[in-house]
Amino acid sequence: MAQASGSDPKRAEEFDLPAVLDRVKTAGRQVLAELRKIIVGEDEPIDQVLSAMFAGGHCMIQGPPGTAKTILIASLAKVMNLEFKRIQFTPDLMPSDISGTEILEEDTSTGHRFVKFVKGPVFCNILMADEINRTPPKTQAALLEVMQEKQVTIGGKTYPLPLPHYVLATQISLEQEGTYPLPEAQQDRFMLSVAMNYLGEDDEVQVVRQSTSLSRVELKQVIEGDELLQFQQAVRRVTLPAELGRYIVDLVAASRPTVAGCPDFVREYIAWGAGLRASQNMALAAKSAAAQDGRDTVTADDIRKAIVPVLRHRIGLSFRAEVDRVTVEDVIRKLVESVSEPAVA
Amino acid sequence: MSQSNTVKDLGVEAIEKIADGKSKIMREIRKVIIGQDQVVEDVVTSFFAGGHCLITGVPGLAKTLLISSLGRAMDLKFRRVQFTPDLMPADITGTEILEEDSATRQRELKFRPGPIFTNILLADEINRTPPKTQAALLEAMQERQVTVSGRTYELDNPFFVLATQNPIEQEGTYPLPTVQQDRFMFHLLIDYLPKDQELEVVNQTTGARVEDIAVAMHGQELLEYQDIVRQTPVAEPILRYAVRLAGLSRPGGAEAPAFVKEFVSWGASIRASHYLVLGAKARAILDGRPHVSVRDVQSVAYAVLRHRIVTNFRAESQGIDTEEIIRRLLETVSPPKSGL
Repeated sequence: MAQASGSDPKRAEEFDLPAVLDRVKTAGRQVLAELRKIIVGEDEPIDQVLSAMFAGGHCMIQGPPGTAKTILIASLAKVMNLEFKRIQFTPDLMPSDISGTEILEEDTSTGHRFVKFVKGPVFCNILMADEINRTPPKTQAALLEVMQEKQVTIGGKTYPLPLPHYVLATQISLEQEGTYPLPEAQQDRFMLSVAMNYLGEDDEVQVVRQSTSLSRVELKQVIEGDELLQFQQAVRRVTLPAELGRYIVDLVAASRPTVAGCPDFVREYIAWGAGLRASQNMALAAKSAAAQDGRDTVTADDIRKAIVPVLRHRIGLSFRAEVDRVTVEDVIRKLVESVSEPAVA
Repeated sequence: MSQSNTVKDLGVEAIEKIADGKSKIMREIRKVIIGQDQVVEDVVTSFFAGGHCLITGVPGLAKTLLISSLGRAMDLKFRRVQFTPDLMPADITGTEILEEDSATRQRELKFRPGPIFTNILLADEINRTPPKTQAALLEAMQERQVTVSGRTYELDNPFFVLATQNPIEQEGTYPLPTVQQDRFMFHLLIDYLPKDQELEVVNQTTGARVEDIAVAMHGQELLEYQDIVRQTPVAEPILRYAVRLAGLSRPGGAEAPAFVKEFVSWGASIRASHYLVLGAKARAILDGRPHVSVRDVQSVAYAVLRHRIVTNFRAESQGIDTEEIIRRLLETVSPPKSGL
């Protein structure tokens, strides 16, 4: 569903950027307003997931159990009219449980047998990959490959996924037994890492009052599937001023402990730094933030919003950091302080 | 207050009828089950709140009899699945089979529903089955539907899962991860009976008389009662008390007590707050009271928090278990003055 159907062949050439950006802005606000009906006190994570979706990227969602992760993703699917599927990753899940299998079927009229492909749950618009680090590497790799290529190849035949296609993955805390941590290179494929936290007491009281009562919230659909594809094009047309592009690259490069002349705390606390994808995704997330605001040019503020979710899963802390109880967020804060922002309006 | 109006609208009669129904259920169950009143009451509470239960207890404590009797007393369909290491997801949810019409010789795929299509499912020894099969059960339990070959089948309503875990044989088991346990409303413990009650059981089960259980309440009424439970008003201070009880169990919280910081590795989720309040509402209504008291919250605290708080290695080495943590939490969090 939701393939970009050619309603107007001219649309590709004459892209009305200001109009689409306007629409991105209102759509973003409408989604937030709908989600606020059932999710309390999580505006920032919602905003971040939206910026990834408008940019066509996948998200990692972190947070303790019970922090409305499933509700967030299922509700996003509802208000955006996207087909939603959820896979619970387990130690015995197989690649075919994700992508699908071929089965032998018989044509009832002719009696001929033929091989039929039964699509797996990955064939949807928005896939929640729950506790992805509970599954062995081969199955993780199967998901990540499909996610990257947006197609499944089985028995020599290729089946394209429906577009848009988003993967939103959760991980269980690494301290728990029996997990297979996702390798850095695999984590890198997620555009943003969004953190959801426990609510403040007042918010939690409000949630519980609502959830234990009889009232049911109805969510309104505010975005069409192929509108999202248009938004993705608009985001890529947002301008990134040269000096801000340089700032992004400086910031990401500063996280690499192997680079000569890097700050002391980087060498001390960071085991591995962020790669090229971090720079690309930071630029994209900043553009998306600008688009969400209806603007066609990125500002330093847009970049500031993107820094933490882009870098969080791309920086590996050293053992020393663990001993000193320094978190990734602390290190990122220090990085931002150490790199001077360009002086532009 | 619009909330108290809604309860008045429900009528005192409805609440009396519920309390009366509960006494009848208890009376019927006591015909066949000796002791275990607390467990029966907790399971009934979860039914009225619409939640699922995890039950831990050694074999031979009449878990199956207890739950099947409840099914009979409430006129609900009951099924039992013994979970084994070789059980497959389809053994629970159902499979498509190729059927041939004997008249036309036409073959077609037909869905044969699995044992999950029932009102009460006793999932016996759930931790003996591999994770994918556990996940299939939990997913169906959460979504109240099953999808096979692209087609979706709704489960019966009401639908309750009572999953048992055997605490003795830990070898060859697949413990449910904390996050999955979180989906159960209550975690109940069934223990051995006191000696005199055990003697009573021996006398009864070896005697000639067989007790018959009468229907005390109809399953479809239960759906109506669940709505009434949800409409029960809760005063703000009591809501806050429940939220604090769960919130203070989280070691990362700013206000976490010292013993939580020291002994707890995982605190209770927001689902704990949710079920503390919902359980308390059910408890109040089952007692024939149209309002929730602090004692209602406290009475479900162990069952709600037990499987949601994970203690660390230091707690284990000092012999401090989750029960002890909950006891201290109840001591620490001061109840609102007006609530008792």
